[in-house]
Amino acid sequence: MSDENQYISRRNVLRATGVATAGALAGCGGGGNGNGNGGNGNGNGGNGNGMGNASGEVSILHAWGSGDGANALQALKDGFENEDVNVTDSVVQGAARSNLVSSIQTRMSSGNPPSTWQAWPGKNLLRFTADQYGDLEGDVWDSDLKDNYLEGPKQQAQVDGKYVAVPLNIHRINNLFYNTSVVEEAGVDPSSFSTPSDVLDAMETVASETDATPHAHANAAWTAGQLWETVLLAQAGQSGYNDYINGEGSRSAVESALEAVDTMIDYTFDDASSIGFPEASTRMQNGEAAFMHQGDWAAGGFGEDFVYGEDWDHVPFPGSEGHYALNMDSFPFPAEAPNPEATKVFLKYCGGTEAQIAFNREKGSIPPRSDADVSQLNEFQQDQYDNFTNSDAQPPSIQHGLAVVPPVLSNFGDAFSDFISNRDVGSTTDALMNAFN
Amino acid sequence: MRKILRAVKRRIHRRRLRSDGGTTDQRTKFLNRDSVRSAPFWLPPFLLVFLFVYGAIIWNFVISLTNVSNNLSTIDYSNLDFENYAIAFDGGTPSWARFDVGSYISPIWNAAQNTIVLMVAFAVVCLALGLWLAILVDRDIRFENTFRTIYLLPMSLSFVVTAKFWAFMYNREYGLVNALFEAVGAGSVEIIQNSTLLGVESIALGPIAIGSIGIPVKLAAIVFALIWQYSGYAMVVYLAGLRAIPDSHFEAARVDGASTIRMYWRVIIPQLRTATVSALVVLMVFSLKAFDFIYSLYGSYNPGSAADILATRMVREAYQNSRFAFASAIAIVLFVMALSIVAPYLYTQYRRGDL
Repeated sequence: MSDENQYISRRNVLRATGVATAGALAGCGGGGNGNGNGGNGNGNGGNGNGMGNASGEVSILHAWGSGDGANALQALKDGFENEDVNVTDSVVQGAARSNLVSSIQTRMSSGNPPSTWQAWPGKNLLRFTADQYGDLEGDVWDSDLKDNYLEGPKQQAQVDGKYVAVPLNIHRINNLFYNTSVVEEAGVDPSSFSTPSDVLDAMETVASETDATPHAHANAAWTAGQLWETVLLAQAGQSGYNDYINGEGSRSAVESALEAVDTMIDYTFDDASSIGFPEASTRMQNGEAAFMHQGDWAAGGFGEDFVYGEDWDHVPFPGSEGHYALNMDSFPFPAEAPNPEATKVFLKYCGGTEAQIAFNREKGSIPPRSDADVSQLNEFQQDQYDNFTNSDAQPPSIQHGLAVVPPVLSNFGDAFSDFISNRDVGSTTDALMNAFN
Repeated sequence: MRKILRAVKRRIHRRRLRSDGGTTDQRTKFLNRDSVRSAPFWLPPFLLVFLFVYGAIIWNFVISLTNVSNNLSTIDYSNLDFENYAIAFDGGTPSWARFDVGSYISPIWNAAQNTIVLMVAFAVVCLALGLWLAILVDRDIRFENTFRTIYLLPMSLSFVVTAKFWAFMYNREYGLVNALFEAVGAGSVEIIQNSTLLGVESIALGPIAIGSIGIPVKLAAIVFALIWQYSGYAMVVYLAGLRAIPDSHFEAARVDGASTIRMYWRVIIPQLRTATVSALVVLMVFSLKAFDFIYSLYGSYNPGSAADILATRMVREAYQNSRFAFASAIAIVLFVMALSIVAPYLYTQYRRGDL
């Protein structure tokens, strides 16, 4: 090869390198821009003409990637009939919805939010200020919604007295499920329980009278957390529970609930730390365990031939009968929503009974409205709905983000992450009391 | 700084001298210099590495001085301070906290301590085990290659696979580890959610109490699994070192009447210094990245404080608690730890002219 040729080939290499580098850099830039433009389509709403001529795209960001959540959202979208408003959705999965939260926070603070997203209402909404939410009073929260939502869910939809979100569904936290044949074999009657210590006594009876494990429980921080909040509600009542979520809890109440939880974890499987709640639930269905405390989403996972009322049954967690402890999902309304009028049309639909029945039939939860026609829901959901509409109070869940602001929830989670391995009632009580510091 | 400048100047000056007897007047044109003519090859990667590695580290440090919560496009660079580091070492409620309640941040000492315990226990045991295996494999055994492959194979698996595998091994009902305990009559024990301290509860050196020394069961379980995965790597490094030692050293030691143990202890192992140091550095840096393993084992980035390491704490602060600036401060602490391991190694290599 001559020198001349060598020189040319070198020059070509230089060119190629330059092009490749430019291409790579352009690729980076392009990626960044694409990301930012997601929510900007059709920004023609907000012309002040009311909701009559709302049109455009409504984008929903959510973590319902599969299973009941994905089916429920699809049913919700299918039921929405509006030629002018086009509803799109995209999933942000992973890390128990932390990735969704992280994505929303970034988009909210850069003024580029989706039209709405899946969020726990209540104190969880306080991760943004009231100004960052749009006002839904009037257009969405009209007298129909205000008259028909129960007081608990209505409060959870507000930030500083302003209606900013539409609750979609309610899952109950204070449940006690049981396998009827195991319970009968042990000779205990769950409908006669009235306090958490009755549950403990029954667990002891199951342990001594049968081969089954008394308590189907997966030993994770969140399951322990929701069990503890349920026991606290059952022992200390609404006022003791409210004191805790307001940061003024009594140490003895916190400790006493924790002791009960500690004992209940003793009654569970040896390998409870290695299994998830679906596995615990399967073992209860197989008759390997008697009782299970879990949110009512667990009922959605029961097999077809495990029949409500025959093979399994349910009582509100003893001591908390008059309460319907809330875990909800809602659609908040950001102040900088790309298509505010179209979004309001969609949210108004979500606040109606038809949408909520479609959504909750798939999700296994109940509508937050008191006037829904629940005949399309299953028998268990109908019973839960009766319980809900007749409940004295609907306290918000701590573990599921409604009752405390995000940093307190994080401390609460840390406390139970330690509790499930050290089972130290004293130090965990300290951590729970200090969660508000 | 001045020293460096002078060295650079000298270097440039020397370049101008031609070694073939030419004079300094015969300067090569700037565009014809080797360094410039080869720029298309080294410059793009150099710029990319500089931007995405060193640039990112510098930017991360600057972020750690700010108050940013979770949106990097809203960083306020006008107000830089070391508050995040003060909180990391002392704990406290940051001035930038958005909530009146729940904003106290505990110091990172617990996670730092766990990180160091994990790093030291993992690296030391891994090296010892790797050396032992290397010596065995080196003794002209049958199926040598097969054994070597078997020991090395776990390293080729990802942390996610090995974490799920060990979650099964440690299961209390049907895990093999507990089956073994039961076979020897010890009964089953909780492993992955057991924060009992293994070790000495309280130690006193004369009048000075040192406190307890030990490792929580769950952290020990993580260390054990990591050792299983990486001791094969230490073995391979040592094996290469052993192969490089001439047979005559073994023979001379034998002729001098050394026993096998004495031969290895006095003659062979001292020659494995370079292998030890390079394996140690790699293993320690690996252990700083045990995040994936813990995340997969616990299915969450909160394994509880007994097994919490700096990497899990950092991710939690950033993505769960939306404290990007504070998490960046933890990242810098981790970076300094990694640097303090690698830098002395690089420096000695440089001094010995190996670099």
